[in-house]
Amino acid sequence: MATQAPTAVPQPAAPQRRRSTASGTGGRTAALFLVPFFAVFAIAMVAPVIYAIVLSFYAQQKSGLGFGEAKTSFVGFENYLQVLESESFVTGIARLGLYCAIYIPCMVGGAVVFALLLDATVARARKLFQLLVFLPHAVPGVIAALIWAYLYTPGISPVVQALQGGGIQVNFLDAHMVLPAIVNIGVWEWTGYNVIILFTALQAVPREILEAARVDGAGEIRAAVSIKFPLILPALSVIMLFTIIGTLQLFTEPSIIAKATPSITSTWVPNMWAYDAAFIRHNLNQAAAASIIIAALAAFLSLVVTRFSSRMNKS
Amino acid sequence: MKRRNLLVGTASLASSALLLAACGTGPGTSTAPTPAADPSGSITFWSSLAGMDKVAAAFNASQSKINVTFETIPNADSGGYAKLSTAITAGNGPDVSTIEYPQLPQFVSNGQVQPLDGLIDKSATVDKLAGEIRSMVQFGDKTYGLPYDAAPMVMYYRQDMLAKAGVEVPRTWQEFEDAAKKLKAVAPDSYLASFNPNQVPATAGLAWQAGAKWFGTSDDSWEVGVNDEATRKVAGYWQKLIDNKLVKVSQAFSDEWSLDLANSTVVGVIGANWSATGIQKRTEASGQKGQWIAAEMPNWGTPAGAFFGGSSFNVTKSSKNPAAAAKFVEFLTTNQEAIKARGNTGSAFLAYPGLTPVAQQAYDASYFGNDIYDVFEKAYSTVSPGWQWGPSWDLTNTALKDAYGNLGTGGTVPTALDTAQKATVAGLEQAGLSVKQ
Repeated sequence: MATQAPTAVPQPAAPQRRRSTASGTGGRTAALFLVPFFAVFAIAMVAPVIYAIVLSFYAQQKSGLGFGEAKTSFVGFENYLQVLESESFVTGIARLGLYCAIYIPCMVGGAVVFALLLDATVARARKLFQLLVFLPHAVPGVIAALIWAYLYTPGISPVVQALQGGGIQVNFLDAHMVLPAIVNIGVWEWTGYNVIILFTALQAVPREILEAARVDGAGEIRAAVSIKFPLILPALSVIMLFTIIGTLQLFTEPSIIAKATPSITSTWVPNMWAYDAAFIRHNLNQAAAASIIIAALAAFLSLVVTRFSSRMNKS
Repeated sequence: MKRRNLLVGTASLASSALLLAACGTGPGTSTAPTPAADPSGSITFWSSLAGMDKVAAAFNASQSKINVTFETIPNADSGGYAKLSTAITAGNGPDVSTIEYPQLPQFVSNGQVQPLDGLIDKSATVDKLAGEIRSMVQFGDKTYGLPYDAAPMVMYYRQDMLAKAGVEVPRTWQEFEDAAKKLKAVAPDSYLASFNPNQVPATAGLAWQAGAKWFGTSDDSWEVGVNDEATRKVAGYWQKLIDNKLVKVSQAFSDEWSLDLANSTVVGVIGANWSATGIQKRTEASGQKGQWIAAEMPNWGTPAGAFFGGSSFNVTKSSKNPAAAAKFVEFLTTNQEAIKARGNTGSAFLAYPGLTPVAQQAYDASYFGNDIYDVFEKAYSTVSPGWQWGPSWDLTNTALKDAYGNLGTGGTVPTALDTAQKATVAGLEQAGLSVKQ
C-alpha cells in the first residue's frame, strides 16, 4: 500500500502523436541520459531480485539442539512448496482477496464519482475541493494508521462513543470488523489521490464533444455517464493497475492496528507473512520464496488488468 | 502501455525483494576470542533501555582505553530484535547488545553472540549470581552474556478497591478468584486484573510459577511442553476468569489499557518490578497516589515465583574487539557507577548483588502505598528453579499471540496454548532441530 508511485496521466485524446525522433548522435545522447537510471535500477532493483531468487532455492538446516553452525543446502522448490502449503499464507491471500473485493469497488467507485462531481462544479470551487479530497493522502500511512487506531479503540474513540450513544454497539477491532476497518483506512487514504488522476483525465476530454452532446440535449448526468466516463477509461485502468499492486503490498496499516488489537495476527496478509518469516522466524530463504510468490502474483494480476482494459478500450 | 506494464511489474517484484536485500546472509566474521589483558579500542553498544547513553558516557569518562559509542534501538515490540539479528547476520552489528532472557537462546542458537568464557573474570561476575538468574545466560557450559536485571513477577493492586470489596491481598489463586468476584459484586464495571494477549511472557511466567517447563533438553533433543499439565491448569483457570468476566481481555500498554487503569476499570496489574513506572505514569493524574501496592503473586498452595522480563548484555558475533566489549559488559552489569550514572529510570531490580540498593536510591517509590522493594525481594527469593527458554522464542511468542487473537470469538486460552505447542514443534523441526514432545 505504501508504494504507489505518482504516475503520469495518459492523454486519452492524443494517441501515438510523438514518433521516434532519435537518430544518429541523438542515440548516443539518449544513452548518456539513460545510464544513470539503469545503473541505479540495476543495483537497487535487478540485483536484489536476482539475489532473492537465488536465496529462495536454498535452505539452512540445523541439527540436534541447534547450537552451532547451520548447513546451507540447495533445496529446489522446497521453500515455495512450504510457503504454499502454509495455512497462514493461504489464509492471508484469501483475506487479501476479500479485502480487494471490498476495497476496490469502494475506492475506485468513490474516486470516479468524486472526479465527475468535481468536473461538474464551478471552476472557482474546483481548486478548493481538489485540495480537500487530496488532503488525507498527504498524511503518511503510519500516522494515518495511528490516528485510525485511536478512532477505532473502544472506550477512547469519540466515534465509538457517539455510536453507542445512538444505540449502536460496534467494536471495529474485533475479529469480524477489523477487515472492513482496515479497508476504510485504505479508502480514506487513496480515494483523493485517485480522484486527482481521474480529474486530470477529465480535463483532457475535448470540450467540443461535450458541447456537441449538450446541443443534442444531454444533461450533466447523461454527459457524465455517456461521454466523460468512457473517455477516462484508460486512466481508470492505470488506477486499477496501481491499486492491485498497492493492495498486494498491504502491510503498514494492519501492522500498526495490530498493536491495538489481537485480531490481527502476525501473518495477517502475505507481506506480513514474509516479514514474519524473515525477521521473526529468521528464515530468509522462505521469506524470499514468499516475496517471489507475491511478486509473481502482482505481475500476473497486472497482466490480467492490462489485457482486460486494452480489450475494453478497443471495443 | 506495454513498456509501462513491464516497468510496473519489475518495480513491484523489486520492492518485494528489496525487503530481503537489506539482510543478506553474509558470512559471519568469525573472530576467535583472544583474551587481552588490557583491552583498548572503540566499540559500539545497542540498547533500547532508557538512560543507557548516560551509562556509556560514564564508562568513557572513567577510563581512556575503550571508547563506547551508544545507539538507541527500538524495543522488542517495535522490531528491535529484527534489527539486531539482521545487523549481526550482515556483519555490521554492534559489539555489545542488549537481549532479554527469553530471546537469548535463539541468538545463541543462531550463532549471533559469542561466549564470554575467557573474556570475563568469572569469579567476580557469574560466580556471584544466584543460580536461577545464572541459568538464564548459561547454555551447555558456556556463558553467553551477563545478566543485568532479574525481574521478579509481582502483582499490583489498588488497595482502596480491595478494601471496598472487603478482601485482603490474595495469597492464592483461589483467593484471587474470590476477590475478583467480590469486587464485581460491589463495583460491577471493575475488573481485578486484565489478561493481556500481547504479553506472552506473562503467560509463560504464570505457567513457570505453577511448575510448568515449556522447554528442556534431553539426549541432544529439545523437549517442548508449551501445553504441559501445569500450563493447562493455569490456562483453564484464566479461561474461567475470562468466561465469568472477572478479568478483562485487553492489549497491555494500548490506549485502552491505559485508560482502564486511569478510570478504575482495571484495578490490578500482573507485572514485575519494572511495571511500577508505567502504572504511576498512567494513574498519577487520576489522583491514585498511595492507592497502588505491590504484592507477591498469588500461588497454587506454596509460595512460588517467576521472572517476567529482564535483560542481559552480550558480545555479538560481529564484534571485532570482543575483549573490550566484554570489559564494558562487566562494567554495565557489576559496577555501581553504571547504576548511578543511569539515574532514575524506574524501579530497577538488578541481578548482581549489592546493585539494587544503588538503583533504589535514585528511584522515588513514594507513589506506592507499600514498600515495593521489599515485595520484589520476597518475590525474587521464591522464583522456581529449573525453567529454561527455548531455541526460538519468537516462534512460540508469535504463535501464542496470534492464537490469543481468537479469544473474543470462540477461542480459549487452552486451545491457544495447543496451537502454540504445535507451531513451536513444527517450526523447530522445519529448522532441522530434533524435538521430543
